[in-house]
Amino acid sequence: MKLVITGYGIVSTVGVGNEAFERGLSNLDAQTATKPSSDATGAPLIREIPDFDPTPWLGEKGLRSLDRLTKELVLAARFALHDAGLKKDGAYVSVDAEAIGFCCSNAYGSLEAINELDRVAVLEDARYINPSKFPNTVSNTAAGYASIWEDVRALNVSVSDGNCGSLDTFVLARQFFETDRASVLAVGGGEALSESIALAFGRLGALVSECVIGEGASFAIVETAAHAAQRGASPIAEVLGASTTFGATATDSLFVPAERALVRAIDEVCAQAGISADSIDAVFGSTSGLHAFDRAEERAVRARVASPTPFVAPKSIFGESFGAAGALATAAALATFKGHRPTFLGDGPLPRTILLTALGYYGNAAAVLLRRASLDSSPHA
Amino acid sequence: MQTVPEASRSRVLVTGVGVLSPIGSGKVRFYEALAAGRSGAAQVTRFSTEGLGRSVACEVKDFVARDHLSPVESRRMGRCSAMALAAARMALADAGLQANAWEDRTRVAVIVGTTMGEADVLESLDQTLVRSGAGAMQRSHLARVGSTLLPTHIARAIGAEGLTMTLPAACAAGNYAIGLAYDLIRTGKADVVVAGASELIQQLQFSGFVRLAAMAPEMCRPFDKNRQGILLGEGAAVFVLESEAHAVRRGAAVQAEVGGFGLTCDAYHITRPHPDATGSVTAMRRAIAEAAVTADDIDFVNAHGTGTKANDTAETAVMNEVFQGKRVPISSLKSMFGHCMGAASAIEAAACIFTIEQGIYPPTIHFETPDPECDVALVANVAQRGAHRIVVNNSLAFGGYNAVTLFAQPGVLVPPNERPRAFFSARTESSS
Repeated sequence: MKLVITGYGIVSTVGVGNEAFERGLSNLDAQTATKPSSDATGAPLIREIPDFDPTPWLGEKGLRSLDRLTKELVLAARFALHDAGLKKDGAYVSVDAEAIGFCCSNAYGSLEAINELDRVAVLEDARYINPSKFPNTVSNTAAGYASIWEDVRALNVSVSDGNCGSLDTFVLARQFFETDRASVLAVGGGEALSESIALAFGRLGALVSECVIGEGASFAIVETAAHAAQRGASPIAEVLGASTTFGATATDSLFVPAERALVRAIDEVCAQAGISADSIDAVFGSTSGLHAFDRAEERAVRARVASPTPFVAPKSIFGESFGAAGALATAAALATFKGHRPTFLGDGPLPRTILLTALGYYGNAAAVLLRRASLDSSPHA
Repeated sequence: MQTVPEASRSRVLVTGVGVLSPIGSGKVRFYEALAAGRSGAAQVTRFSTEGLGRSVACEVKDFVARDHLSPVESRRMGRCSAMALAAARMALADAGLQANAWEDRTRVAVIVGTTMGEADVLESLDQTLVRSGAGAMQRSHLARVGSTLLPTHIARAIGAEGLTMTLPAACAAGNYAIGLAYDLIRTGKADVVVAGASELIQQLQFSGFVRLAAMAPEMCRPFDKNRQGILLGEGAAVFVLESEAHAVRRGAAVQAEVGGFGLTCDAYHITRPHPDATGSVTAMRRAIAEAAVTADDIDFVNAHGTGTKANDTAETAVMNEVFQGKRVPISSLKSMFGHCMGAASAIEAAACIFTIEQGIYPPTIHFETPDPECDVALVANVAQRGAHRIVVNNSLAFGGYNAVTLFAQPGVLVPPNERPRAFFSARTESSS
């Protein structure tokens, strides 16, 4: 079954909306890290979406009870559904709501909502917590709101697999197409910056000394090539493979850069694609400034994809955005296929086949292999 | 209609069950309590409920982490992970499997559902942050927060190296985990999946449901005219699911077959089900269709049955629409062990296995007054015996998530390669 990506949507630190994002990818001025606003000694640098305001696209009605994560996800989903031509002016034009689903990654839920209600419980009394905010504390609520706002009804599956999560959603998508659970899937994830996440990672300072915390949300629209052809959609990319693995069974340490598991994930996606790793033109990795993990990831990648094939770090412009990380890197890959050159890619020909990799903190690893769609790509190839 | 190639389709068999519940932990105690219609409700012991106007919940009282976990594991995990790992070890023992003794550890997956994961750890950190500032937060606690830890703790302990995934699907999370496991095995992606869900009761969650006016004062009475809402529960249930070939090779005792999985989203309201229950109806029909049976073949339905006005009337609509007048016995076990949130549909799946194995329908206790708007064939107050070839496990969740799993006695369903593949591809193919 050939799967293709026919559109994407993104809310990111380098641009809100696809056009702004594609401009920002190649503009260093759009990629500046900022300090958290609170007085948080030792807190890491953060990359925050500046003055994030979704009202130009979502309007004002109904936004008041939504938290930042929800707004980011809803907006990214809306951009993606329109970019893929599934919606026009807010209405579906070529597919039923019952045939579209979400596979959405998020690592920490809405810490903003949890912290706000905990603060009320501690400083005032639990009986005074705002009931309209309580649902926001549940991990899948942001994805649930996105399905309501965008009328997505085939399925809604949330994943919480740390910084491997949004590559894992491609694994789910492949599975759900194979078992025929949807015709189209919006695949990706989101993570919102909050004071508590910045403070917590600041407290883990030894681990994150060079790590910049980021945020954002992105969805890629995935469907079978046959379905895309049937509705006249033009693919941006082909999903050649997706794999998620685990490799912390031989160690006592809680934090495990599972190098061997990542090699296995790379082997699996190449096997699914039926190509050799030699065919990979660039690797968009998950290196973030955590040295042990960065070195392990580089060793795993270089075990299969030799230099001088570029091994680059999208997090150098997005920061570490955990559950959204793979989704943001995917968006960067799709923009690259469209001819935009991210600053982190450097010079040289734009890649046609991109491997995305992720190495989790607790032994997870994931890989996704994308190829730029050919103009003559056959839906049955 | 297209069929999936035979080589890639396998029966998905339940060979091990591990459960920690408010009415008893371990399969034997849990099953005894189900048959007896025991209540797990009592005054909350782990945190103060003063001033909230509600003080009753269904806690797991017989769980001691060190009975199941090593000292290192105990230090490393919050209660949610600890219960998940304990249930996983029970399931492996029940299946006659040993950790780290797999044919191929890369084909062993672990999937855990939850609503909030290690919510008590997060709550504790938040309280420290508010009271004493970031500098007082313990690093060891910070490292225990992410829900992604739940399956990784299990995978590490049992030596699994396949897909490892957390599905935060609120109150349907258990069915999500079982359903994805079913998909992975039947399509040949895994030989064994250790799948289930875990959840704990903590103060913020308790207070939130009180503030939503969704919590009953003392008891949960699903489908009763005078029902007043949910009682919170907690616990974990984990299953060993195997491909038929893997189970046969090792001579495993098969407890049930997972025959179908239905998944939809209401896209209607963040906390309430769609009043017409169209998404739930589709999910249940899909689960039944995947098993290549009809609604007439279903012997028993485990209801989501939260005891709220909205849920129970919506679920009655599902029963009426799917079964078209057939009075299929239905029961809500939340009357016994409360609403265990992310773990609910996993613990209730364990009850479905009990029904499949023993032919007993667990009762909906505390039932007194029939509600004309909930006219279902309720197994009221006392367990009943009945046909037990095929049962359905229904679940709904915050976010409009609907998930249904179907369980059957081994050998009842036709082989997977003779089952039709329907829905979306059929629609696409017919219109192309």
